[in-house]
Amino acid sequence: MKQFVIIGNSAAGIAAVEAIRQKDKASKIMVVSDEDYPSYCRCVISYYLAGEVKEDKILYRPESFYKENNIELLLNKKVIRVDPKKNRIICEDKSQFSYDALLIATGASPKFPENIQGIKKRGVFGFRTIKDAKDIEGLLPVTKTVCILGGGLIGLKAGYALKKRNVEVKVVIKSKQVLSQMLDFEGASLVQQRLEANGIEIILGQDVTEVIGNGDIKAVKLDSGKVLASSLVVVGKGVEPNIGLVKDTEIKINEGIIANNLLQTNIPNIYTAGDVCEGFDLTLGKLSINALWPIAVEQGKIAGQNMAGDNINYDGSLGMNSLEFFGLPVISLGIYKVKDEGASFEEVKVCDTKAGLYKRLIIKNNILVGAILVGDIKNSGIFLRLIRERINLSPFKERLLHENFGYPDIMDFVKDKEKIYV
Amino acid sequence: MKQLYYEVKKCLGCKSCEIACAIAHSLTGELFKALKEEALSLPRKKVSSSGDKNYPVSCRHCKDPKCVEACMAAALVYDKEKGMVLHDESRCVGCWMCVMVCPYSAIRPNIKTKIPIRCDKCKDKDEPSCVKACPTGAIIWQEEVEVIK
Repeated sequence: MKQFVIIGNSAAGIAAVEAIRQKDKASKIMVVSDEDYPSYCRCVISYYLAGEVKEDKILYRPESFYKENNIELLLNKKVIRVDPKKNRIICEDKSQFSYDALLIATGASPKFPENIQGIKKRGVFGFRTIKDAKDIEGLLPVTKTVCILGGGLIGLKAGYALKKRNVEVKVVIKSKQVLSQMLDFEGASLVQQRLEANGIEIILGQDVTEVIGNGDIKAVKLDSGKVLASSLVVVGKGVEPNIGLVKDTEIKINEGIIANNLLQTNIPNIYTAGDVCEGFDLTLGKLSINALWPIAVEQGKIAGQNMAGDNINYDGSLGMNSLEFFGLPVISLGIYKVKDEGASFEEVKVCDTKAGLYKRLIIKNNILVGAILVGDIKNSGIFLRLIRERINLSPFKERLLHENFGYPDIMDFVKDKEKIYV
Repeated sequence: MKQLYYEVKKCLGCKSCEIACAIAHSLTGELFKALKEEALSLPRKKVSSSGDKNYPVSCRHCKDPKCVEACMAAALVYDKEKGMVLHDESRCVGCWMCVMVCPYSAIRPNIKTKIPIRCDKCKDKDEPSCVKACPTGAIIWQEEVEVIK
């Protein structure tokens, strides 16, 4: 009988637990989390804050999950160190636990840029945990205006939620567009228009330099010198992987914890998955972190299977995301901006700004490497498959954005053939 | 458990299956009344053509479903006994992650209701409505056959 320890109780951690239990009903599994909540749908906190999802629907697994699967769950326990030589983890409260196989799925934390004066003040929030959502919700009765720092997914989702709760929302974005980590300028403009049409104020090309107020927050100051009245601040300036517990150990890190194709670290009995995991990126062709729920689940599952004795190869992840604001669906896959214009990239594009429609496919050497779909996300799963399986587009290239393009066009070229068409 | 198969050479691309599917999943279950429903019932099956053949495309209820893995709201589960991906609409937030990862693009967003639409094999009926509706018998409803790789 083995002892499996999983640090992290979210997408990757739970997927690993379920994968281990598929193979091994007897061994001991311990899940350690620094949050005080059983596993919940982290990405749903914005819908919770918006009032669209009640708390009873936010749990990712029923409360009975841990007992049914014979899992020891330790909440409110922060692991501060992994000791690979002695095969044990050490927690902040000095407790220690040993393992035969360990999964580090500690996720990431919001960045609070230190160059912004007053960023540590009360009333400045990240937007990552159910606690963040509840703390913000608690202040709603006394909040008229919120200032969101950053125009990424987290910032915009927080802005959307607060707008739904009738708070005045101002989003301050350093770059010249919203969602600069997943969309090109044209696609982003459509999203921006939709947000603005629904009353969210977007301020581009400016940064916040100071959060003003003693005790309660009064305003934020921009680098232009302008001051925006605001009693609540949400910071959406990206996240950083939670790697503190492996710093100065022999476990190899870069930005995140480096994983091989088995999702193993350089220490064979230590695995990593999810937002902390820096693994192979299929479209970039190098190591990268793709912090996204579906990828965390995919990685957690494979890490769990391998921890339980399998030898399953993970072919890699790629940047992708799906979101919807005020009825405008948006999907971004793989490469979304072509930096090196000279390098043999081709593109197929459809743009109808009035209809709120924008589609752009990025192709290199007849292989799809990226897609942006705004307003109509049809066939996005097929585009993802074309990217993942590196399928040569020649036989159907001119049909890619055609109204009637679909799975039948690619089925002779995909890896796993099915037998439902006879 | 039973699955849908398609005898492609018989498919005329008439889309009777699409219409039958949309009606079967409407509130009233009748064509003309269904057309007047506030959120129009959309077909869970779409016929696509490739070359000179037509292929009805709908959810395969994969045994290793990508959509279930991707669902960030835990609205999707794979039910082994039923051999089906089940969708709990009360948990769904309409994030379209399932649409993004479906390898067949067989899940489509209903933007109006914020709910993805996918084949549920007409779970309350003896056989799926598309099977009955197909005038040429191109849609076959039968026990699963072993896939030969």
